[in-house]
Amino acid sequence: MNVVTDGWDDEELLAALRQALAARRAVPPEFVEAGKNAFAWHNIDAELAQLTYDSTHAPQLEAATRAESASIRALTFTSARITLELEVTENSLLGQVVPAQAATIDVEAHDSPDTQIASDEIGCFAIQPIPSGPFRLHCRAAGGINVLTGWITL
Amino acid sequence: MRDDPLVIAMVNRAARGDQGAWNDIIERYSPLVWSICLRYRLDRQDSDDVGQSVWLLLVERIGMLREPAALPGWLATTTQRECLRVLRASRRHEHAELPDDQLSPDPGAAMIEKEILAAERDAAVWAAFAELPRGCRELLAMLLSDHPHSYEDISATLGMRVGSIGPMRARCLDRLRQSPHIAAIADGARDKQARGERGD
Repeated sequence: MNVVTDGWDDEELLAALRQALAARRAVPPEFVEAGKNAFAWHNIDAELAQLTYDSTHAPQLEAATRAESASIRALTFTSARITLELEVTENSLLGQVVPAQAATIDVEAHDSPDTQIASDEIGCFAIQPIPSGPFRLHCRAAGGINVLTGWITL
Repeated sequence: MRDDPLVIAMVNRAARGDQGAWNDIIERYSPLVWSICLRYRLDRQDSDDVGQSVWLLLVERIGMLREPAALPGWLATTTQRECLRVLRASRRHEHAELPDDQLSPDPGAAMIEKEILAAERDAAVWAAFAELPRGCRELLAMLLSDHPHSYEDISATLGMRVGSIGPMRARCLDRLRQSPHIAAIADGARDKQARGERGD
């Protein structure tokens, strides 16, 4: 049963819509625009880690790695204070924070809720399953370390 | 209303850096922030100042909101606080001798609660409207315009027969009524009725 049909008849719905449209027209467009632009400051406190190595762009090395282990792809993100080493295996994404230290990793994906993972005391962590869509890692550790990687698609 | 899943999804996506979701939040809640500025009788410049502060605070906090669905309440109280800050700053400058409590006629908590409810209803109705097919949006906008259009006008502008305006209006309203955005506020209104209050 649709609960709404008991609520508003056509005239009430039109009145609510008239009111809603008037409320929006009252707001200057520049006021709304300024609000949208404020998003440029999102994550201003997080340091962005740059992708400094991707095995898919280093074909010989990739072949060598493949021959020796189950690693499918390796990525390195570098920031001023820490480096994140990532290794894609068949069914999980393994990572390590360098220099070794305990950290909290948020996996932020476009198409699923965030998940938070704690590394062990030497900074190793595993993400399972491997995110299917684009994701990025947000790493926080002692001493105000707050690092965000770029978007990753595996 | 406080746990509208659509609002929760919007907040979570924005927290992960989705500019589109952030824009949706701004579209949805800028009338709330603006209307509270009006209640405090701020001029345009002070309102812009308040808006800027509120949105920057939200950008900073959006990943930390414990209950994303409580966003409208958070926005309203933050806006109220910023309005008072701006008023104190400007009036202190003009009337340095008067104590604060004589300077800022505070419209109070009841006003804020009322603005939140009205803004939530308006925002949900508008969000539902924005998702209608273009034909419906054009037709309803003409029907609700400040200068009412005759059916002949509407017929000429939208290229539809006069006889189909009535039936199309009904179909568009049905579509609006079935929107999940409207369902969310209708549930809220029903709860309110159950508590024996009258909606205004």
